[in-house]
Amino acid sequence: MIMQTHPLIKPLPRQSRQHHGVEIEGLSLSLADKAILQDISLRLPDAGITTVIGPSGAGKSSLLRCLNGLHQQWQGEILLQRRDVRHWPGGGDLLRRHVGLIGQKPCVFPHSIRANVVFGIQGRRKRRKADGIVETVLKQAALWDEVKHRLHEPAESLSLGQQQRLCIARALAIRPGLILLDEPTASLDPRSKQLIEQSIRQLAGTMPVVCVTHDLEQARRLGGGVIFMCEGRVIEEAACESFFTQPQRLESREFLRWTVCDCD
Amino acid sequence: MTNTRIAMVLVVLLALPALLLPAMSLAYIAYKGIPAFSWDFIFGTDPGSGFGVAGGVFAQLLGSLLLALGAVLVAVPFALGTALYYHLLASAVQRHVLMALMNMLQGIPPIVFGLCGLIVFVHLLHWGVSLASGALILAAVILPMLVLNSITALEQIPFEDTEAARSLGLSHASVIARVWLPRAWPGMLTGLLLGMARALSETAPILFTATVFSGVVWPDSIFAPVTSLQTHIFYLSQEGSDPAAIQAAWGSAVVLIMVVAVFALLARALSRHTNRQSGVLSEGADS
Repeated sequence: MIMQTHPLIKPLPRQSRQHHGVEIEGLSLSLADKAILQDISLRLPDAGITTVIGPSGAGKSSLLRCLNGLHQQWQGEILLQRRDVRHWPGGGDLLRRHVGLIGQKPCVFPHSIRANVVFGIQGRRKRRKADGIVETVLKQAALWDEVKHRLHEPAESLSLGQQQRLCIARALAIRPGLILLDEPTASLDPRSKQLIEQSIRQLAGTMPVVCVTHDLEQARRLGGGVIFMCEGRVIEEAACESFFTQPQRLESREFLRWTVCDCD
Repeated sequence: MTNTRIAMVLVVLLALPALLLPAMSLAYIAYKGIPAFSWDFIFGTDPGSGFGVAGGVFAQLLGSLLLALGAVLVAVPFALGTALYYHLLASAVQRHVLMALMNMLQGIPPIVFGLCGLIVFVHLLHWGVSLASGALILAAVILPMLVLNSITALEQIPFEDTEAARSLGLSHASVIARVWLPRAWPGMLTGLLLGMARALSETAPILFTATVFSGVVWPDSIFAPVTSLQTHIFYLSQEGSDPAAIQAAWGSAVVLIMVVAVFALLARALSRHTNRQSGVLSEGADS
């Protein structure tokens, strides 16, 4: 029997697209009549680190906010694990549970360390019985050894570096399928930076991790893929080592040399 | 004398009246009112006997507290709802209009509210001179203050907290219940206590909507009138011919000031405690 394709049925995604955890096609975003992102198309792998670099105002953070639905007025198409984020089952709140976002400034709630870790878990009973999850995610975030004896102390008493790792643990506790980090180590001490990078690399083994950073050395240390953005556009997308040793675009070379970009 | 010193002296001279006048007024009220104090005066439940010459102010104190409590209970949910609307849903234009409206409402003389209460609650709705009429009209008087206070309390919540909670997939309702209210409640409670103090200070709105001079200790229902300290002082000072009645008015004034001061000081203590706690926590965070 010959199967005919009904003209109204949308064709299956191309074979090549099925191997990507995140697929972005023609993404544009304008806020207050200003173009923030312009026609961005990207493919991110099912696991591994992708570092987004670029000068201030390049649209890096806005890209992350589009991915987890905090910005909703964008045009284009974003697919996470082949599902359109606009029609995510359960809506925007469930999308955000799938896409963990950790901001630049550590943000802990005025509760205990434990309560912060389980903050995103739905249901009071589940939160109460989440000791196993607390230990697992604090270990993943390289914080367990420092806080295991004081889980009931206020989270605000931790250092900034510890607070940021607590934020990572809190995001992991809701078992996301993708982690977005928006300059997670900006203004942190070298030791905290090192621990967070270690944690990011560990996470990248199991899920896609997208990390925005201003720190080119950090981008190089993290490895994986690099996306260079400027003025709301993707200028170059390459493997980390190839980008830093043989950048293909003039703008990329300028940025690596002087950390400025003149892509107009 | 250097310019700095001259400026300092000028500032002190300008500030002195602001400090001295209230202090002198308070001292004078205390001097006139404290001699009226006795067990029977504070706790006597024979209200207004002999047109204030005998009997105590317990019933009036109770009435004032009932009115203020009723006003706060009515106003707080509306204030919270308005502040949440302002914070969550209002457009820039709506925010502008809402702020202008609240500031304008704060500027309306309380007697105008009293007049509205008289027409709407007492006459149109036939609630009569009652606790309900007085509490509702006092709620309208303190509502703008509570709304502005709640908006300020919500605005002080760091944006990062909201974004972090939304990023964890919390719904708007969960963000309000688990992030905003725990963060904002000390500020809102401070506003509530100040609202109580303000409601206790108002006389005009309840003069012809809620109170009678005597004959009530505890109202039978919310549609029964009450007595209050504010109007008690007004009646005694306006119509009392006996010097003992005038002294009772001064005594009532001292009681009223003390009650208002308790709420104002509680609000201040709470505010200081909250600020100190956030200071300690942010110091801890920086270490």
